[in-house]
Amino acid sequence: MRKFVVIFVCCILFFCGCADSAHESASDISAAQSDNVSLHTAELFAMDTYMALKAYCADDKPLNSAQAIIEMLEKELSVTLPDSDISRLNNAQGEKIELNCDCVELIKNALDLCERTNGALDITIYPILREWGFTTGDYKIPTPENIRSLLTNVNYSAVWAAENSIQLPSGYMIDLGAVAKGYTSDKIISLFKENGITSAIISLGGNVHALGSKPDGSAWKIALTDPNLPQTYIGNLEIVDKAVITSGSYERYFTGDDGTRYCHIISPFDGYPVNNGIASVTVIGDSGVLCDALSTALFVMGKEAAVEHWRKYCDFEMIIITDAGEITVTEGIQSNFSLSRPYEQNKLEVIYR
Amino acid sequence: MDVRKLTKLSLLTSIALVIFVIELRLPNIVPIPGVKLGLANIVTVYALYNYGVRDTAMICVVRIFLGSLFSGNLMAMLFGFGGSLLCILGMSLLKRAVTDKYLWLLSIFGAVFHNIGQIAVACAVMQTFAVIGYLPFLIVTGCIAGLFTGICAQLLILRMKKR
Amino acid sequence: MKKTVFLITACAVVFLASAVISVVMLNAPSGDIVKIKSDGELLYTIDLSKSPNKTIVVEYNGKKNTLEIKDHKIRVLEADCPDKVCVNAGWLDSTAIPIICLPNKLIIEYENNDADAAAR
Repeated sequence: MRKFVVIFVCCILFFCGCADSAHESASDISAAQSDNVSLHTAELFAMDTYMALKAYCADDKPLNSAQAIIEMLEKELSVTLPDSDISRLNNAQGEKIELNCDCVELIKNALDLCERTNGALDITIYPILREWGFTTGDYKIPTPENIRSLLTNVNYSAVWAAENSIQLPSGYMIDLGAVAKGYTSDKIISLFKENGITSAIISLGGNVHALGSKPDGSAWKIALTDPNLPQTYIGNLEIVDKAVITSGSYERYFTGDDGTRYCHIISPFDGYPVNNGIASVTVIGDSGVLCDALSTALFVMGKEAAVEHWRKYCDFEMIIITDAGEITVTEGIQSNFSLSRPYEQNKLEVIYR
Repeated sequence: MDVRKLTKLSLLTSIALVIFVIELRLPNIVPIPGVKLGLANIVTVYALYNYGVRDTAMICVVRIFLGSLFSGNLMAMLFGFGGSLLCILGMSLLKRAVTDKYLWLLSIFGAVFHNIGQIAVACAVMQTFAVIGYLPFLIVTGCIAGLFTGICAQLLILRMKKR
Repeated sequence: MKKTVFLITACAVVFLASAVISVVMLNAPSGDIVKIKSDGELLYTIDLSKSPNKTIVVEYNGKKNTLEIKDHKIRVLEADCPDKVCVNAGWLDSTAIPIICLPNKLIIEYENNDADAAAR
């Protein structure tokens, strides 16, 4: 009898031990199944910037299609390529131009966002941007009369969009620079999704868009550039399935003969580069187009209006960094944001709804 | 081996096992694998003081074997064997040099040897020397844990002696 | 008694040595391997901690960037690109943010990045 009890107890002990190791081997199998999925990367220079794509997938095909999408969209959306759809539209002299649906969809989308931001984003700013030299690299400070006359041709509500065509008043020009990269990242992410990819991160010249989380389930880590010292990063952002897009005065700027620094973000309200104490605005949200457009628009609006906009709409989070290095973070992203070591002393303000 | 001794050793083994299982349930303060208090080593030090190397090794082997069955972590068994055997060996060599008042020292050295043993096994299992980088961290935490268990063991041994 | 003193000293030495090594290891620069890429193609992988001081010239379409490695750091010394962003960036000191020369399609970055991507 006693022997029996001893054997019985031993058996129970053994099976207790086995139960857990059975669990382990089950997870081993699931890991093995996803083994044929590995990290694939692609890097390219397009849309005037450096792009890096990383995806966990079985082969290079999705990345090749993504590169094809980027090249196609660049041909359609670039303002500098003479035969892009946008250039055709800008040279139409008031004629109605038929465009393919990608382009029309994006322009309509952008016009909605111009409306939403009350013109803080304005896709018809291009003539002024060109006058300042930001598209050509031939920087100069235009005369006030020049700006005033060009401003009469800046008004997004004058753009007329139909089913598959767009009409601009004569003298108007549009530039989708504020939304093109966000739109491209949306397209790539949905392409990845169609290919069954569940884990990918792309950076289109610093416009980051993540699909899902890392393969091990942890969040992607995004370094946020310090706008006042662009070679260092101010903090880390942990995100899953989000776009992170920054607009900063440090990205493109020139110093005029008068010694003032002029940045590439121009206010559609007065035609001058924005100079409101903001150094960068980072927008975190689900849609690349929305984040891209808002990062520019909120920069133009200034901090108070940006906070108001955030309170009114609940579809994004943001991080604003001022010229003085003060950091403002909205409530929803606060727990995912951590300052890097040299910046731990910086002033960090959290905005609540 | 007489029944008396066998009973005592079995009792020590089961005490060690209980301490081990309870410690498993405690949350890990330091998130480095391999870092823990190692309270069951109080029993090891006690056994080594009162019995020989062979008896202590027996207690440890049984405790680790059953302990890893309980926890379901068979890798821990390998690391445990490597660590404990080196620990017992090291402590038995130093035993004679240490007076009753400084028993805690023995435990600290035991902890250091334990860590070295663990890392040696890890090197063998993972077939890489990269894990040696862990050793300094393990030794720092091991010294602190060893001091703690050592003081516990010393109190225990000296009180048991008085009886 | 002598033995005890010896043992205590040995113990203290082991502990302190490990503590010092731990601290040093924790503070050691994590990324020392630097990758230099031109137009997406990996040209060099350099271990800065081992590399002697030298200069490297990277050419792209006849345009040159001269890189300098000095005291285990790397920077773009000279470039014949119009904007000179890469030169003004100075030494590569962030493991998260690379030095990029857009006109010459050059990238210098640490291999083990702190972050999966950098938002700019």
